[in-house]
Amino acid sequence: MRIRTWTYLVGQSFQGIRRHVHMSLASVTTMAVSLLVLGIFVVASLNLSYVAAVIESQIEIRAYLYDDIPAQGILDLEVAISSLEYVTGVEYVDKDTALSKLKEQLGPQADLLEAVEEMNPLRNSFVVKVEAPEFVALVASQVEELQGVAKVDHRQDLMSRLSAVIRAIRVSALFIILLLGVATILIISNTVRLAVLSRQREVYIMKLVGATDAFVRWPFFLEGILLGLAGAAVASFVLDRAYDWFLANVYVMLPFVPVLTKQPMLQVVSLGLFVLGTAIGALGSSIPLKRFLRV
Amino acid sequence: MILLENASKLYANKVLALDGASFYIDRSEFVFIVGPSGAGKSTLVRLIYREELPTSGRVVVFDKDLSKMRPREVPFFRRRIGVVFQDFKLLEDRTVFENVAFALRVTESTRREIKRRVPAVLELVGLRDKQRSYPRQLSGGEQQRVSLARAIVNNPELVVADEPTGNLDPDTAWEIFQLLREINRRGTTVVVATHAKEIVNRFGKRVIALKDGQVVRDEEKGAYSNED
Repeated sequence: MRIRTWTYLVGQSFQGIRRHVHMSLASVTTMAVSLLVLGIFVVASLNLSYVAAVIESQIEIRAYLYDDIPAQGILDLEVAISSLEYVTGVEYVDKDTALSKLKEQLGPQADLLEAVEEMNPLRNSFVVKVEAPEFVALVASQVEELQGVAKVDHRQDLMSRLSAVIRAIRVSALFIILLLGVATILIISNTVRLAVLSRQREVYIMKLVGATDAFVRWPFFLEGILLGLAGAAVASFVLDRAYDWFLANVYVMLPFVPVLTKQPMLQVVSLGLFVLGTAIGALGSSIPLKRFLRV
Repeated sequence: MILLENASKLYANKVLALDGASFYIDRSEFVFIVGPSGAGKSTLVRLIYREELPTSGRVVVFDKDLSKMRPREVPFFRRRIGVVFQDFKLLEDRTVFENVAFALRVTESTRREIKRRVPAVLELVGLRDKQRSYPRQLSGGEQQRVSLARAIVNNPELVVADEPTGNLDPDTAWEIFQLLREINRRGTTVVVATHAKEIVNRFGKRVIALKDGQVVRDEEKGAYSNED
């Protein structure tokens, strides 16, 4: 096709949007809303997954030691524990440090401890970190058998429940995202299809005066891309603002909950929305045309 | 120019719209297709510009057997034919100028050519001053003239019209037929399917009469019906 035809066709795609403002607005709104829902869910599950990862990394076993172990015995124990399989870190906490930490945690009520301070009832201990929650029980039992270890505290039930919950969250998030993705594609392509259907007459007339299929299809294709871009832009913008709001509030209301920083996560999610929006817009508006082109 | 050989059309709903129709229309002829509703006039017109293909028999236009035409040739074939309908088939959201220019855009005409051809053809149909109007601002007769202008702006060799005056009052209908006759005088073949008995009788042109999908009469300088 000649260049003047291309300029005409590109112009036509803009005019198509202008001439069918209501249909176009409906398409953009539908796209924006469904992409936004999808985007929110993706961001939410990325964060949940991040929280889960943080919690997992904090899984620890505490091994309390008898008081009468010499310094060399403590060193030996440390080596023995860190050479166990699945152990990712070992940290020694002596009883004085443990007491001052406890004081810190108690804050204004720290004077409760004054009575016991002289004789410090706490024990020296090791904090043992393991690769994943499922290894906690195994490692704990091995640590317990080591000479000099008085008691092992690993909250096994909590750990295994937590890891089950985390796995369930990950699987269901992935599942819901897939479902939402399919729903988004269906909703958008249906809206665009309706917009094309309403212009069946126009296509028929084009074909009657001798338009080639490409001539008919290009403006619809370009129009679909433009609408897809617009929908994705709106969704990304709202998502961006919503995440700012979320961050501002989460730091105030839930200061200990770990959240992902805005970038690069939102850039990636937005890029995904743009790709999805334009692809569905373009295909959704040019595929249903095929039927009308058989004139 | 147009040759039908035993052409039949059986629609999917088992309606036999055309039943072994045969005739030949020569270059520069003016031909009326007449007959009662349901006689197969519209189907015949659709066969000529290849919206439909015959179920059996042959339809040959411009020396081409339409059943053997490849799909990508069809747009180029249609550019040689101007089609006019009872319901005008104008684009409501475009001006008169754009509706007519549309047929030229499709053929990738230059902007200059469009600026030259469109006003000229609107002048011919008497709508030079309505270029910027929209179809809904025009009367039925004016809308049909726009559609005529669109049909002839490409200088087609053939114009086919399906009940072009079915929605118009007799005076306006007469004007439309005058225009068709003028187009024919300039050398274009014109085929009109119509109910307008009076006009057919006054024109004294060739008449092909259909009944139940069959050609029952084909006369030079004919009238709508012999029985009247």
